[in-house]
Amino acid sequence: MKHAIAVLSIVLFVLAMSLLLTVAGGLYIPSISVRPLAELYLNTTYNPWNREFTALSPEGVTAIVWDYRGLDTVFETTVFYLAIIASIAIARGIRKYSALPGKELGLSLIVRTVTRITTTLIVAVAISIALHGHLTPGGGFQGGATAAVAPLLILVAFSHYFLLKRGVSKDLMLVIRSLGLAGIGIVAIATYLVAVASGLPGFVLQNQPKPLSPVNLPAYLGGQLISGTLWFFNIFEFFAVMAGFTIVFLLLAIPERIARGGGEK
Amino acid sequence: MIDPQVLVLGIGALAALASVVAVYFAVIERNLVRAVVFSAIQSTLYALLYYILMAPDIVLVYVPVAVGLYPAVILFLISKTEREEKP
Amino acid sequence: MIDPVTYMLTLIILCMVVNLGIALYGIFFRPSLVKKIIAVTILGDTANTFAIMLGYRRWLSPEKPSIPPVLLNYANATKEALAEFSARAVDPLPQALVLTAIVIGLAVTLFLVFLTLQIHRLYGTTDVREIRKLRG
Repeated sequence: MKHAIAVLSIVLFVLAMSLLLTVAGGLYIPSISVRPLAELYLNTTYNPWNREFTALSPEGVTAIVWDYRGLDTVFETTVFYLAIIASIAIARGIRKYSALPGKELGLSLIVRTVTRITTTLIVAVAISIALHGHLTPGGGFQGGATAAVAPLLILVAFSHYFLLKRGVSKDLMLVIRSLGLAGIGIVAIATYLVAVASGLPGFVLQNQPKPLSPVNLPAYLGGQLISGTLWFFNIFEFFAVMAGFTIVFLLLAIPERIARGGGEK
Repeated sequence: MIDPQVLVLGIGALAALASVVAVYFAVIERNLVRAVVFSAIQSTLYALLYYILMAPDIVLVYVPVAVGLYPAVILFLISKTEREEKP
Repeated sequence: MIDPVTYMLTLIILCMVVNLGIALYGIFFRPSLVKKIIAVTILGDTANTFAIMLGYRRWLSPEKPSIPPVLLNYANATKEALAEFSARAVDPLPQALVLTAIVIGLAVTLFLVFLTLQIHRLYGTTDVREIRKLRG
């Protein structure tokens, strides 16, 4: 009863206060136009008639994430890397754990059968989101976060040992994540290396040709639009995000009894 | 004839109002499992709001993260620590 | 005369302000560390919503709603289609910043979860008042 009165008063306060603010007109409200910077981005994100400034990607958000503001995203990936490393460092006392013999773990048969079907679908959708990130809404971050749901479902429905028996261990995921991060680094300096090798001026994180530097990665691969570096960035970020989250879930799903005991000898 | 923009933004405003209720109960509730469920309801309403604010990219990343991964991780944490918040 | 569109947008912004206040109350005054983590996630999501709200744009007319910053039918785009796209699409910059912020926020929350787990392993409680007593 006390909570109902509190909620009702909060809702009434919001409704009345916004009416008051609408009449007074003192709040920042979005208008019919956007800022000039946004106009620039929208004009050049896919513009074949302006090849010196365009990112050649119909998806404005991915173009900003990996082309216009690419350096920001590389450092955000560094923050992600450090957060995952910190989580692993806290859980470092746990050394070895193996399957309990002759004991059926996990949930019931119905749940496990449904999980088998849905995890396949989730991974397929995630890969589709990541690969089409430069054409439709999506990208490496979205695909990686979606794909990380699948190992979590398996951990809940089948238990921790199901993944370990099939070779999905912490070390394998660390290797995949390191490969993804290394791929991001290589793609970031790919155009620069090409420019240096051919004696032209070049930039780090360059995608399409710029007025000062004519080198670029191909925007079309076999007649399909891949938007230069964006496609490769999305693929590598997909692996980095997916494997990074999977490591943490594997560590989180270790039973507390084993975690406190410090693992087997 | 009602302006369709008012209808669309009205759904968003309803979602925002409902999210206020969900946030209130998520913070007040002493049973932590129920608090996590209220937090997931709030995330769903925010996802609807992002869709109405023309951000499909954010919806695609927000739905698996905030509706799928956050509650699961915090439920793992609750199962390993305490279920009730002491008054 | 009140513009209903302005009223709806004001309502959404004010709801977010109230959510921010409730989440701050949860962070500062609730004793359980798990409850604090839940409140921190709500605080982060609300801040992200403010950023997306900054990039929203009103409809030009009932027949021309604002669209996401994705150019459809790019293969045979004309200059007119491009001009209409940049006249109707919302601001993509806040969305790009929020996109990375959500994923990084999840990674940082996972770190907080591990810290809380470790505190529970060492002290046997997640209540900040008892932890304060234990540390003297």
